[in-house]
Amino acid sequence: MALEISTNPMAIGAIAARLTEEFGADLHDVHVQQPDTVVASCDRARLRDLAQRLKGDPEVGYETLNWVAGIDRITAFESVYHVYSWKTNTYLELHVEVPRATPEVDSVVAVWPAADWHERESWDMMGITYLGHPDLRRILLKDDFVGHPLRKDYVDLVENHPNA
Amino acid sequence: MTDRVPGRSKMRYPKLEHFSEPNVITTTADFIFSWARSHSVFPFTYGLACCAIEMLSSGFARFDVARYGMEVFRPTPRQCDLMIVAGTVNEKMAPVLERLYQQMSEPKWVISMGACANSGGPFYDGYNVVNGVDKIVPVDVYIPGCPPRPEALFQGLLELQEKIQQHSFVPQAPAGDGREA
Repeated sequence: MALEISTNPMAIGAIAARLTEEFGADLHDVHVQQPDTVVASCDRARLRDLAQRLKGDPEVGYETLNWVAGIDRITAFESVYHVYSWKTNTYLELHVEVPRATPEVDSVVAVWPAADWHERESWDMMGITYLGHPDLRRILLKDDFVGHPLRKDYVDLVENHPNA
Repeated sequence: MTDRVPGRSKMRYPKLEHFSEPNVITTTADFIFSWARSHSVFPFTYGLACCAIEMLSSGFARFDVARYGMEVFRPTPRQCDLMIVAGTVNEKMAPVLERLYQQMSEPKWVISMGACANSGGPFYDGYNVVNGVDKIVPVDVYIPGCPPRPEALFQGLLELQEKIQQHSFVPQAPAGDGREA
């Protein structure tokens, strides 16, 4: 059976309304970013469960994870998930705030396997720990690198420059 | 056989009057070896960033590095005697680059191609950037540019040819061994 790719049968506003109705308890700040993206945030404690339900939703199932990003907002970190729905041909941008004191969030590799390397990179560069990740180690920097260089408070260390 | 070609100060070529009879040339072994060696350099494909595109471009028909006898790019260090470091060297790559250099057979040369390999370039002082490949291996020729055009690479290769020709493969007697008297 061929994969059914529809051309946006639901208007993006209707999708946002449906997400609010179905997942309103967990999804906060749902708003539309034209033309095809719904932006929302959720608590980190609810992320794993919410991801599973978002993927399995019969109307707007977000089957595909495009990327995971880490952001340093100074006051806190953010882990951002950009997922895609083949059913509605739209995107969801899911922001999860991660406190600076305990930079930990549940891994979504069990839901979207594509998150594997993206979470490794986010940990490598930003130092956000993804709990439950099968193999959380550095992906771009060398194994004995000290610190997480894309943090705003990162200070370059002599240890990281053996050839200086 | 040290006659100089006008316009190129140090390059040495056999000249017609050195052919004592047809197809016979009389010269020193030192000259003929370094002359041959300078015209059959085997470069190692060490492209690390955008400079590699210029290096590859120099190998194709429009620029054609084969004019200098250097078109035989090899992907293994054991068959190469010239490492063209084309691109940014980062701290993770540094030990690999050093090891590959050590695996090249003597005599060997290194060309640092572009701003990144020369000094770190636009990424100078980056958290994972080596500020110049000369921190790791000895460099014979530096080529400026970001990236250098193929013509600039050729200029560097010609400079290297001059340098190779000045190298003597004949073992020199150590100074002060008593033969002066």
